[in-house]
Amino acid sequence: MGINDDKALEKCLNEPGMSISRRLDPSPKHDSGHYVELPLVRNEKTLEVAEGEVFDKVYVLGGDSALTELPFENIIVGAGAKVNVVTLVMPGTSIDLPLAVDIIGEGADVNVSGLYLCGGEEKVQIRTEVRHKVPSCTSYQLFNGIAAGKSNVKFYGKIVVAPDAQKTEAYQTNHNLVISGGARAESKPQLEIYADDVKCSHGATVGQLNEDEQFYMRSRGIPENEARVLQMISFIAPVLAKVEDESRREELQSAVEAAVRKSLATL
Amino acid sequence: MANDILLEIKGLHASVGEKEILKGIDLTIRKGEIHAVMGPNGAGKSTLSSVLTGKPLYTVTEGSINFMGKDLLAMSPEERSWAGIFMSFQYPIEIPGVTITNFMKTAVNAKRKAEGLDPMKAGDFLKLMREKMAFVQMRPEFAKREVNVGFSGGEKKRNEIFQMAMLDPTLSILDETDSGLDVDALRIVAEGVRSLHTPEKSAIVITHYKRLLDYIVPDIVHVLKDGKIVATAGRELVDEIEEKGYDIF
Repeated sequence: MGINDDKALEKCLNEPGMSISRRLDPSPKHDSGHYVELPLVRNEKTLEVAEGEVFDKVYVLGGDSALTELPFENIIVGAGAKVNVVTLVMPGTSIDLPLAVDIIGEGADVNVSGLYLCGGEEKVQIRTEVRHKVPSCTSYQLFNGIAAGKSNVKFYGKIVVAPDAQKTEAYQTNHNLVISGGARAESKPQLEIYADDVKCSHGATVGQLNEDEQFYMRSRGIPENEARVLQMISFIAPVLAKVEDESRREELQSAVEAAVRKSLATL
Repeated sequence: MANDILLEIKGLHASVGEKEILKGIDLTIRKGEIHAVMGPNGAGKSTLSSVLTGKPLYTVTEGSINFMGKDLLAMSPEERSWAGIFMSFQYPIEIPGVTITNFMKTAVNAKRKAEGLDPMKAGDFLKLMREKMAFVQMRPEFAKREVNVGFSGGEKKRNEIFQMAMLDPTLSILDETDSGLDVDALRIVAEGVRSLHTPEKSAIVITHYKRLLDYIVPDIVHVLKDGKIVATAGRELVDEIEEKGYDIF
């Protein structure tokens, strides 16, 4: 346990069958300045990927899918396990999506990625926290979103590397395109690193469609609306590239392209 | 003969914001002609090409441009492309995430759609791409590269001429195509342009220097200075400028 352990809480959590619900801070403004080891949570919203296991799954929320939330809010990852979770939030879906990952075994490899497409009055909030508790693991977070119409999107992403978790590689990227005046996007990345031999980075942007790109494409005869679609699809591509299965990826690409054309690309 | 005229610019004034850059341009280009537009930095050369291609933020305040009987200024950039205008950019734009294949397929099929034709068959398109890439000595693997991303200066300009070959324009505008090119790249680009030229097509070569015009020999040379054409003559004007500079105008 870390320096701030709370004996009572620890005891409580170690009771068999005990479940505790905990919300991730939606808008973390301060970090504690020193490492706080949070106890592991195991409840009905926990996905446990045990030692050596592979968990590779895509979740489509909204659109043609009946799913409206992820079946888990926290993932516990064992030694040598591989996790690849891709979440696509389709237009018309308002959602608060918390996702915490605890990496508790060495040699684990975690990818959590997501895409959110908002063209109306959606409110989308994504809160991730990836906690490296042991050495020699890798994690990649990649979330890209497009906000059109009057939608409002927020991304809060955090990486925590414990003092003992040397040789960690942890990366986080969040890019947002705001394509109409009424839409808003906010991105708050956070890194808390208590080990010294690690590679960590984060990159966050909120931007608009590049007009020089648009003019270049139009000067080649690509109509304005089609140029915008191409730009949006290229913006989304890195997230879809995380889908390992090729035929599934192609199927999702056409679904996403259709959604972009229908809900986002109208001038 | 009047029906030989491809492009006719009359009394063109254009501004960027409040600042007037073009201050009354008259220019007539007939089929088959190659015109050079030369001039010092800041003369308005790039503004002229931007106005011809319909770049946003450039405002035409006076004058007209007629292209093959149509009012060019009333057309969108994509409509101008479909009508047969192509500009090789001085600084080609990088488009991350879009491959050259996807980019050109979208462009070629958009033009076909405007002409009422069906999209090109995938096999035919790839064959055409391979042929035109070889023409400017682009390696086949460039087909899968993202447009201009990580390209050298020479590769970007070759990619411009490749696109020109694919779109087969009636009027090509080469905006400072020689800038940033070494001698070998210059020769490949210039030979590409030269072999695309036919008696039915015309070109405007915009340049600061003589060297590109050693390869692409113009029929008519204009000097643009402070937003106006201050001299028009045959190709001998190029040597005069080389010798005496732009100060004589």
